[in-house]
Amino acid sequence: MSDLGWLFNTPTLTFLFFGLVTTLEIAAWSIAISFVLGVLLALGRLSRYAHVRWPCTAYIEGMRALPVLLVIFFSFFALPKLIGTQLDPFAAGVIAMSAFTAALVAEIVRAGIQAVPLGLREAAHSQGLSAMQTLRLITLPIAVRQMMPALIAQFVTLLKDTSLTAVIGILELTRRGQIVFSQPPFQPIPVFALIALVYFSVNFCLAAAGRRLEMRSI
Amino acid sequence: MDFGVLSENAGLLGAGLVVTLEISLLSIVVASVLGVLIATLRAAPSRTLRTIGNTYVEVLRNIPLLVHVFFLFFALPSIGIKLEAFTCGVLALGVYSSAFVGEAIRSGIAAVPTGQLEAGLASGMSYATVMRLVILPQAIAKTIPPLGNALLNLIKNSSIVSTISVLDVLGTANLIGARTFAYVPMLVGAAICYLIVTLPTAFGIHVLEKRLAR
Repeated sequence: MSDLGWLFNTPTLTFLFFGLVTTLEIAAWSIAISFVLGVLLALGRLSRYAHVRWPCTAYIEGMRALPVLLVIFFSFFALPKLIGTQLDPFAAGVIAMSAFTAALVAEIVRAGIQAVPLGLREAAHSQGLSAMQTLRLITLPIAVRQMMPALIAQFVTLLKDTSLTAVIGILELTRRGQIVFSQPPFQPIPVFALIALVYFSVNFCLAAAGRRLEMRSI
Repeated sequence: MDFGVLSENAGLLGAGLVVTLEISLLSIVVASVLGVLIATLRAAPSRTLRTIGNTYVEVLRNIPLLVHVFFLFFALPSIGIKLEAFTCGVLALGVYSSAFVGEAIRSGIAAVPTGQLEAGLASGMSYATVMRLVILPQAIAKTIPPLGNALLNLIKNSSIVSTISVLDVLGTANLIGARTFAYVPMLVGAAICYLIVTLPTAFGIHVLEKRLAR
């Protein structure tokens, strides 16, 4: 284990680096989609119409009670049979991560919206703003600041959970690490140390960026 | 879609559920013991001990659970430590979750104002009495929500052992799905199994939370 030239050479490191790129791509797509879906689900759950509220509540509570790995397997193996088309692993991974994280984001958004004082919304309404304008200009901007820490924590979890897409064959960081140590000289420990360090650094930076954002928005 | 596969294999799925529960319970034990230890370290007066506790939590919770599991399963044999897949799952899950448990307990203790400890001491109670009668009852109430969350996540995360060939609920469902191509019914069955465990657990935690909050 003294000579690590087999790991620290340009082709191997490039190979792993593109794994990190894939990891970040999945995470970025899933963050964007799950945020939009999560806001819609949260609004749905807070809706005054029962036929909107119930399905959203059921989706959120049901999804939260399931393991994300199951959602990934479902998206890859079962969903194509239900919708009748093939999904490539990347699409299946993004769909699963987004569908799962949306439920958790929805709960964070709901808590954020409920933390906005009712008086503010009433004031906006009495100034002649429509419900949509109130939501867009008053409620959401304040709510987003409130929920930033929880949201960042959720996205760190999402980034870690993208490693699970390795099991459906996406060549992200963990999967590529596995490929590297499955070749001579078959030494998994340095590979694991390296990918653990990469995950740690990315998440640590994400968390630190979140803390800065939080400071600035107050 | 033929759901007959599901009723034919219900027994196997049930056996998988038992494995899931076994792994979860054993990991809860590991996570609790380590978690209390970590919380104690992080609340310790010595700065060195606090740093060790903080580093442990930060490192463990920023590395994916799959990496922990794969490390125990694939990397340890290369230095001569061969563990069964089941043991790898329990250890990885327990150690990973201990970071969250430790954080939950620490935040609970920290949420009780220090003035209460001082007030208790000033009115003549011993440190142990103040802890038992004043601090811990409040700390426990504040710990229940994050601790419950960590517990639920642990149960759901136990599904990760299916990636190292342990036949828990998800592993069993996948295996039968692969054999019969009946992925939809099998994965729906697995989902029902998880809901049977997690929904009542979540409800129980919620009730406990409400009762302790009074």
